[in-house]
Amino acid sequence: MSAPAPSAAPAVEVERVAFSYPARSDNGEGTLYEDFSLEVELGSRFVLMGPSGSGKSTLGRMLARIMTPQAGEVRWSPQFTHRWDVVYLDQHPINSVFPWLTVASNIKYPMKKLGWERSKRQDRMCYLMSLFRMGALADAYPASLSGGELQRLALARCLSWKPQLVILDEPFSALDRKVKAEIIAALGELAARDRMTLVLITHNVSDALALGTRCVVIGRRPVRIISDLEFRATFPREAATPDYDTMQQALIAGIRDGLV
Amino acid sequence: MDWSKQNSRALMFLAALVVVWAAVAALRIVPAIVLPTPASVVRAVPKMLQERLLADIGLTLARVLGALAIACVFGIPLGLYLGYRKGVYQVIESPLHALRSVPASALFPLFLIVIGVGEKSIIALAAYPSLLVILANTVSGATLANKRRLYQARLLGLDTFDTITEVLAYEALPNILDGIRTAVSYALMLVIAVEMFIGLSERGLGRSIYEYQSTYRIPETYGAIIIAGIIGILLNAVVSQMERRMLRWLPNVQED
Repeated sequence: MSAPAPSAAPAVEVERVAFSYPARSDNGEGTLYEDFSLEVELGSRFVLMGPSGSGKSTLGRMLARIMTPQAGEVRWSPQFTHRWDVVYLDQHPINSVFPWLTVASNIKYPMKKLGWERSKRQDRMCYLMSLFRMGALADAYPASLSGGELQRLALARCLSWKPQLVILDEPFSALDRKVKAEIIAALGELAARDRMTLVLITHNVSDALALGTRCVVIGRRPVRIISDLEFRATFPREAATPDYDTMQQALIAGIRDGLV
Repeated sequence: MDWSKQNSRALMFLAALVVVWAAVAALRIVPAIVLPTPASVVRAVPKMLQERLLADIGLTLARVLGALAIACVFGIPLGLYLGYRKGVYQVIESPLHALRSVPASALFPLFLIVIGVGEKSIIALAAYPSLLVILANTVSGATLANKRRLYQARLLGLDTFDTITEVLAYEALPNILDGIRTAVSYALMLVIAVEMFIGLSERGLGRSIYEYQSTYRIPETYGAIIIAGIIGILLNAVVSQMERRMLRWLPNVQED
């Protein structure tokens, strides 16, 4: 292994973690993770894939230090000096917004709590609302939004205060294809501008290809890494992008390995 | 069923009730001393107004609202805090439920001894079960708060006060308003009962019901009872209005 370049410093290091859920009769064994290690580089767009129930969300929540592993350690980069430098976006977007606040207030609330000036909050909110195509919804309450609109609101809110590491758990599941392409482009733009590290949890191959610089497929119990791919093609990526087919085939082959 | 439909059904039911009442009274199935005609009750109202009906209504309402205010001011913040610090709540949960099982009216003599005879005792007695029900509802609302959403509060470094007032209070709001609704009926019931049977209260709607009845002014007795009922309905409507204004953001279950 070569010495890590400064740009390859880890945003999160997962070292030999173990995690089991209380054993239940319906899913057999409770052990999910055992002696599992992983590194996410700073500035990367890391995609975590795996079949349903493979423990992707559990890993995401351990990366965000919402869940503590029963053994081993999860270390954050020393650059992350505040709790809010790392955010986990729940796969149910309603859990990440306050239903009693309007769309605009939801986006502004975290910035207000973190002491941003009023004018900066307003500017950032307007920028995010237009980036995520929510301009007309400023005064709506989350309950009146469609599934896709709610996902966009949750995304805009968790990105509002410029966290350094953003862990997104299935953030596009309710978006239709056209909107999804727009949102992925917006997310890429924002990640580059604000120098965020992204972790995207998904089981959608085209989402992984559209956004990822590194893609890790996990599976089996106890969980292990089934394939670990690096994608260097430039953004935005479409089916016509050179290497797209190669990347797609490599990823699909990796996923298939996990099913064997 | 939507709201106006529900209202019109309630009105139709009331109208039917008055018709049956009028028929029973007109046919003299029961003597007029037991059941006066609706018309005689209506005729009694101007007389009651010339006496001191409005002052009595005002006094009763003031006592009810005073009791509710005490119940809210203490019950809601305490309930939110206990919902936030579940450890503390676990300790006092059983004593609290035991206290709730004691009928408030049975405690009145104790209130008289501790607080003394007078206005304060009436309000305290009505405040007591109102406070317990608001407290219990607030705690359960706060305990049922969305755990994943509370992560947002920790993430943004909210202190205890902000977590309670800016997150937990909203999470618990539907339950708090439910508690207030129950508390309103408790408070009204107790204030009227105490005014009626305990001679220490100067006046009040309960007292006037009792006095009209004991002087055989039966139409006036019915009139005062109906007015007490209307006050209950109006207070309930106020709570419903509060719910609609304060819970505009809640997903409307009826629309799904």
